Order: sequence, then C-alpha cells, then structure tokens
Amino acid sequence: MRGLPDSLHKEWQRRIPPRWRILVIVAIAAPLAAFLFAWSGIFNVAASRGHFRIVEWALAFVMNNSVETHAALIKEPPLDDPNLPILGASHFYTACTPCHGGPGQQPNATLQNALPPAPDLRGTTERWKNREIYWIVKNGIKYTGMPAWIAQSRDDEVWAVVAFIDALPKLDAPRYRELAIGNLDPTAIEDLTIAKCVSCHGGSSGLPRSNLVPILHGQSAAYLTLAMREYASGRRHSGIMQPVASDVPPGAVERLARHYAGLRPRRPETPGFLFNIREGEQLATKGMANNAVPPCLACHGPNALETYPRLAGQNPVYFAARLKRYRDPKVDTTDGAAIMRPIAAKLTDQQIQDLAAYFAASGSPGR
Amino acid sequence: MMRGLAIVLLMPAVASAQEQHSALAAHGEAASQIAALTWVLFALAAIVFALVAAATWIALTGPPRLRAMLASRQTIVIAGFVFPVVVLTVLLFTGLRMTAALSSDVANPLKISVRGEQWWWRVGYALPQGGRFESANEIRIPVGRAVRFELTTADVIHSFWIPSLAGKMDMIPGRVTSLRLSAERPGIYRGICAEYCGGPHAWMALSVIAVPQAEFDDWLSKVAQPPSLSQAQRAGGELFMRAGCGGCHSISGTQANGSIGPALTKLGTRRMLAAGALPMSEHNIARFITHGPEIKPGNKMPPFKILSPAELNSLSAYLMAQR
Repeated sequence: MRGLPDSLHKEWQRRIPPRWRILVIVAIAAPLAAFLFAWSGIFNVAASRGHFRIVEWALAFVMNNSVETHAALIKEPPLDDPNLPILGASHFYTACTPCHGGPGQQPNATLQNALPPAPDLRGTTERWKNREIYWIVKNGIKYTGMPAWIAQSRDDEVWAVVAFIDALPKLDAPRYRELAIGNLDPTAIEDLTIAKCVSCHGGSSGLPRSNLVPILHGQSAAYLTLAMREYASGRRHSGIMQPVASDVPPGAVERLARHYAGLRPRRPETPGFLFNIREGEQLATKGMANNAVPPCLACHGPNALETYPRLAGQNPVYFAARLKRYRDPKVDTTDGAAIMRPIAAKLTDQQIQDLAAYFAASGSPGR
Repeated sequence: MMRGLAIVLLMPAVASAQEQHSALAAHGEAASQIAALTWVLFALAAIVFALVAAATWIALTGPPRLRAMLASRQTIVIAGFVFPVVVLTVLLFTGLRMTAALSSDVANPLKISVRGEQWWWRVGYALPQGGRFESANEIRIPVGRAVRFELTTADVIHSFWIPSLAGKMDMIPGRVTSLRLSAERPGIYRGICAEYCGGPHAWMALSVIAVPQAEFDDWLSKVAQPPSLSQAQRAGGELFMRAGCGGCHSISGTQANGSIGPALTKLGTRRMLAAGALPMSEHNIARFITHGPEIKPGNKMPPFKILSPAELNSLSAYLMAQR
C-alpha cells in the first residue's frame, strides 16, 4: 500500500481491519484481471478446439438444471393421438435433421462441426422427460445453436414434435421414413418444391396423413398464395409453415397454389367425435343473427371471393383447431383473422365441432 | 324583461338552434311544450331567487320593523310552506297533464319502429303496399302528422332523443316503449343516444328529416324500387355478395338479407354514414369498410383490409349508387 497517497493510506489503515484487507484487494483485483484477460484476446473461441473438461461439465450442469427447473410446472397434454407424431415427424424430417440427423439420415457434416455438435436424439427420451423436451423445443438453448420455436403462440405444434421425439427411439430407418413422408419417394419426384408440401398435405396420391393438417385439394389458388404469403411474413403464426413458406423461391408459390387448386377434391374421413351435423348446417347456412354470427357460407360458399378459403370438405379436426385458434389474437394477425376473430369468439366448442362435422360431410372444397 | 335576460344568458344554447339540435329550438308539439315548461320553471326560479335574496338583505341590514315582519310566524307559514306547496303542486299537475297528453293515442299516427343497437338505430316502416322497409340511422317523417315511434333495444339500455322535436325516451331490454311527436316545419333534426351504452356511444346519432306529406308519400312509395345501376356498379353488387357483405347487411331487392348490421338499402341517399360518424360519400364508405375500428373505435364491423383497392372502389361505388 506504499504507492497510495498519505491521506488515503491512513484512511485504509484506520478503517479496514487487517484480516479483511486481503479480501478487499481480491475483490478489486479479480474482476480487473478477468477484464484484462478478455480484453487481451488470449482466450480462444475456436470451435475446433473444444472446451476444457471442467468448462464442459459446468456448461452442462447449468443447462441441465435450468431446463429441469423451468419445465417443472409444465403439464403434459395427452400425446397418444397417432396424428401428432406424423405431423411432428414430417417437420422433423426437413427442419431438424440437418443438425440432429435421424434414423437412416446423416446430419449435415458442416453443422456437426459446431460446438457443441447437435446430439442424436434417439437417446433423448431416456435423459429428458417429455415436458423438458417440450421446453427445449419451444425455447431453444442459449450458446448451443438450438433455436427457439418460431411461432411462440403455437404450443400445439411443439407438442406434435415432442410426440414424435417420444416415439423416435423405437423407430428404425424404414418406419421413421414412413412416419415422416409416407410412401413418398422424394428422389422420384421431379418437382422438389411440391414434394416439400406433399409429405404433410398429400397430393395427387391422397389426402394428408395427419388430421391436424389442412386439406388443400381444390382450394382456390388465390387463397393458397395468400396463405403462403401470410405464413412467410410471420403474420399467420406457424413454426412448421413459416420456414417452409419463406423458403419457397419467388414465383414458385403461384405454381404450387395452382397445383393444389387443380387437384381433385376428396372427402375427408368421418370425424370421430361427438357432433350434430344439423346444428352445424344451421350455423353454416343461417348463422346466429341474435348473437352477431353471420352464416359461414356468406363468405365461404362456392361463389365467394377467391381470396377466401373454401370450407366444404375440410379436415374436421384441423378445422375445429383452426377456428378455436382464431379466438387468440396473438396466433394470427392477418387481415382475414381480424374478420374471423369476433365470430370465433362467439362460437362455443360444441358449435365449432358441429360446424367441422357439417363441412367435412358437405362435400368437397372448391367448385 | 326576464325572458330577454334569460336569452342573453342562454345565448350559446340558442345559437345551436341553427343545427336543429337543441331542446330550446323547438320544432315540434312535444318539444314546444317542454321548452315552454322550461321557461316557466326558469322564470319561477328567478322570482324565488330574487325573493330569497331580498329576504336575506332585509335580515342582515333592513330596518327593525321589516325584520320583525320577516321573523313573524305568519311570514314563515306563507313563504316557507303555503307558497312552495301551491307552486310545486301546480307544476306537478301541469307536468303530468302535459306528459299524459303527449303519450295519449291520436287517431291514425304514422308508426315507425326504432331499435337501438350497439351502436346504431334500426328503423322500420310498414309500406302502404304491404311489407316492410328497413333502414338505419335516418328517419324520414311527414310534417304536421303525428308519428308514433315504437322503441325497443337489441342489447343494453339506449335512449332515443331528438331534442328539437320531443323529450327523450329510454329503450329498455325486454320492453316496448313509445314516443309520439310531430314536426311543425320541414327540416333536418339531429338526434342522439342519450343513455350511455358503452364504447362508441358518442357516435350513435341519427337524423330525422321532416318533409311535406306529399313528398313523404312519394318517397315511401319508391323505397322498394331498385336503383338503376351501371355495368360497373352491377359488378360491385356481385362483389358485395361474393365478399360476404350480405351475411350481415341487407339490401332489399337483392339476395343480401343479413340482419346483423344496418340495412344498406338507399344508403346513398342518407346524409351520414355509421350513425353520424362520417358524412356520406363514396370515399368515406371505402374508408369505413377498411378502417372502421379506427374511425369508430369499438364498432362491431370488422375491418375488411383483405379487399384489394379495385374491389374496394367497386364496392363503394355500388353502395353509393343505392339511391
């Protein structure tokens, strides 16, 4: 302490008892040393070098505890619906495999050279509970390259992915492939852009394999183009559709839309839930004038504007879920949603199911 | 002199009479009686005020003889008991007689139904040739004829008030109330909802247009006639149906039969749009279709920003052509 001016030295001796002096010196010197270390650039951020073992242990320790604690209060919904893993697998097949790989699918070699490399997820279900996988898929993990779910309001999509990851360890390569893309042979398809749509939405070969996915067959091209634009802009939230829609090359959207518009409409399977088609028909054709619900067919009938979706022949499970989602202003901020929101808010869950059943039974979308 | 003083004091209110929206600018039997009663009350109140002021002055600084008189039992009984009882009783019976006369039945009134809805007025006429004509936010009546409004509400309590023509009458859920009035001379009389009914209550206005009986009969006989439309306007009409407007709105003579929102028959002839929110014009119709919630916050019609500019032009041209 000889370097200090006299007055300061005296204060130091008067105020700080001898046994505390070393602590005070460390408290000042340690952060200073840490800053100087960072400033000097001696620390090596190279992914090629890996971490010291103790650093790796510390990072994993922090991450494991953080995920467990943050996921502790999440309630897992029933995941036994076979439609969930189909949707989850289709998304996983294109969106997650570049980093994680899958049965029979190598991860992208470049991405595997990141630090840390993304783990093969087949061991995941032993390590993590479903609610923890949900939390990771939804929120991503800092410093690892694991991104958060794009559409934070779409928990339903995240759970579909979780349902798939839950089933993943039991899948060999052929069964995984069948779950993700059905009977499709992507190498045999000339138009790869359309192939991207087909694994979820079906095509000339058939309807969507998961009932959580809308039927696009015979829908108007103008509406499909608009929907793709809304997904790509993020105004219509979907962590599954937004990456696909924003990845389609400009000009290809109209072609895709015309492709689906030209497909022969097919009727979906009969829904397996309680409903009353007569009530649904009444609502669809007459509405509820005393509760400010106009007839659905005023805007969604066969002669409606091309930019309005057709509802006849739509997949009932998708239909009901979509109509319920309109109630939440966060899920969809499109101009169409502004019109649908007050209507969806007035319909009860039962009425929505009745409508879903009516439209599923009332023939084919489009004309 | 008292009346002159009152007019000076109430100048701002009287000045607004030019807009035909003042209880003091009476243009109907009911409003005249109410205005007369208002003046009588005002004059009486002025006299009482002068007397009280004089009594107070005497009590404080008057000669002892007068102060003794003021404090006598006789003065207190007459000025403090007999005078108020007589005056208030006379006023009470005058008021009761007036209200009874105004709500009594008259022979052959013109019946018009008005239903208050959040936040507009549904207006219905019986047509002479049978059937009904539904309109909104604008009421045409013949001068000199007694009109009987049958008032109901679709949701909350509203109050139907056309200050220059009559007193106000509440529209109460589950009940039918009625109001009789007549306009003494042709003119446009503004009305408002006089009971706070939520959200854009302040934008729940209406116009009453009083015209000579012959003109009124002519108008009513023609409301069912469809407008003659140009080719472009007919395309707008097709768009009206395809865009789903007919799910909530009706236009008589077309397939549009929605009953949720205001009827748009003869829309182009109305003075105002959206219950007084905007002056009627093609431009404002287009604005209201896309930006309704910004123009009339809380209004129930959702914004149709989904329409292209060309579609919007076609639609507003068609609506403005409803004449």
